[in-house]
Amino acid sequence: MIMGKEKFIPIIALMILLIGTGSSAYVYATQTDTEILGDSIIINDQQYEVEEIFSTTEERTFELLNFTGIALDDLIIKIGIECPSCHSYTIIGEGDYQKTVTWKNMENGLLTADKMTVFSDLPKAFRVRGVFEIEVI
Amino acid sequence: MDKIKLFAGIIVFGSIWGFAECIIGPTLDDAGLPSGALMTGFFAIGLMMMSRMLFKQRGMQLGMGLVAGTLRMFNPFGGCVVCSGIAIMSEAIIFELIWYGMSLDLRELKTHTMKISMGIVSSYCCFVGGYIITQILTPLISSAGFHLNNLIAFMPQILSRGLVVALIGGATIPLILILKNIDISSVKGRVYYPTTAAISIICWVAVIANTLLFMSA
Repeated sequence: MIMGKEKFIPIIALMILLIGTGSSAYVYATQTDTEILGDSIIINDQQYEVEEIFSTTEERTFELLNFTGIALDDLIIKIGIECPSCHSYTIIGEGDYQKTVTWKNMENGLLTADKMTVFSDLPKAFRVRGVFEIEVI
Repeated sequence: MDKIKLFAGIIVFGSIWGFAECIIGPTLDDAGLPSGALMTGFFAIGLMMMSRMLFKQRGMQLGMGLVAGTLRMFNPFGGCVVCSGIAIMSEAIIFELIWYGMSLDLRELKTHTMKISMGIVSSYCCFVGGYIITQILTPLISSAGFHLNNLIAFMPQILSRGLVVALIGGATIPLILILKNIDISSVKGRVYYPTTAAISIICWVAVIANTLLFMSA
């Protein structure tokens, strides 16, 4: 039995190292792809310059959390999504970190100048950094 | 092993772990170090391994996780306090499951290959498992709800971040096993109980004081 473990456990450890290395290679490769977008964000399959959306969208501040940015609900309305409350929104950021939120959450959310989402009604786990896409579902 | 001695051991090791998660973790994070990887690979795995080695009891690490997770819930820092607490407890459960099949005297860990391998397997599984559980629980308790596609898309990142933890864990367990010859049962009660009580109280007071300072700021 002990002999079995002595062979089995190092094999599992080796497999784990391979999974970790493979995942790191994948993450590195896909990160390079998202960098191509530069200073723009894709919203509902349309590409927008950050500067452009910041100049047209209403500002929002969360004083308690000490964050200022543009209102996510106003952003969605301004780009012309019909019936915004009928949809969910998947915010995708660095490393494909993504969170799906409701319209109600969007009404309590902002996008900072450094492309991070903050929601006053959601935990910190919903702060998506380096946002490059907002999918309308 | 005396049950009261074991209970005191669970409290002290769990308190140190909780203290590390609440105070040392955010400090490492502020210093720009990979706090999550260090907390699991070094502190969590190191403390659970040390308690396993010294007390030779199954279930002790689960108890430690409950103490550390409870202490974490007293601390206001971090993303989701409840979920962080549950993630700590899940790490303890995963550790118990991995080590369930190992002998209590750790006779399997004679070679360096086995020590390093167990470090890699334990730390990677605890980190990845804890991370996944947090990613599920945090949205579940929020108004946004859990979406499986969010987790699937982020899985490569979780599996990738676990690599550093695995390497740290692979070094931590052989280091802890250097202390294998310490016999905790030989420590006299008049030294053991006051020491464990004092360390536990210091950990709890530090975390609660930190919380109160944060709230009054």
